[in-house]
Amino acid sequence: MSEPIKIDIWSDIACPWCYIGKRNLEGGISSLGDDAPDVEITYHSFELAPDTPVDFEGSEVDFLAKHKGLPAERVREMLDHVTGVAATAGLDYHFDTLQHTKTLKAHELLHFAKEQGLQLELSERLFRAYFTESRHVGRIDELVELAAEVGLDAEAARESLESGRFAAAVQADIAQAQAYGINGVPFFVIDGKYGVSGAQPSEVFARALSQVADEKAA
Amino acid sequence: MSDRLDTAPSDAPAPVPFAMLDGDASAMVCEGDVCYVPAAPVE
Repeated sequence: MSEPIKIDIWSDIACPWCYIGKRNLEGGISSLGDDAPDVEITYHSFELAPDTPVDFEGSEVDFLAKHKGLPAERVREMLDHVTGVAATAGLDYHFDTLQHTKTLKAHELLHFAKEQGLQLELSERLFRAYFTESRHVGRIDELVELAAEVGLDAEAARESLESGRFAAAVQADIAQAQAYGINGVPFFVIDGKYGVSGAQPSEVFARALSQVADEKAA
Repeated sequence: MSDRLDTAPSDAPAPVPFAMLDGDASAMVCEGDVCYVPAAPVE
């Protein structure tokens, strides 16, 4: 039995294309059916907008229009486009009620979850909370609730967030991304050998994994 | 289209331990508040 294929993913909970890429990766793996190789997925931190306040008063359109200097109507068109692509991936985005926030604590929680063996479950929960349920993923109380929902110990999760125990791990991930020249997310590193940039279609992930599996078997 | 993905040198400033796989050139990435196609920023 060969070792599982490692997939390292740099992403941010506030990145709409990261959730789509996640779903496409999962679709690519499942499309291989019985031929799907064993994979070991690890999420790494990439904070897209470190200057984002924890509490932003206003809509996503307000935030992006202010930061990009684009007309609100143009921002709405962009968000409608992303929402449409997300729907084709089976995801239900609600930018009209989304609560824009700083994701640093969410990243710390993902590291805590990794330590507890529940990172994949928490990653999915945080993406859904942010894009579909319009939950506030920047506040510790809300994050602790979401952590408990995936089976993490609430008090231990709270302690890890309040103490900043995983703050250095988050920064180490970000530094690693910089060292790799990763400027945008999602970014996938497959088995430490191949880099895949962007929310690629499922077929691309399927072919990449088959290719790596063949190489490992050779 | 071949079943095998081509590789291209990474454009990272420092040597990286992996080769970039060429996938769909229109795949979106996000950087800061902006999401775009790497070859042609659009949104």
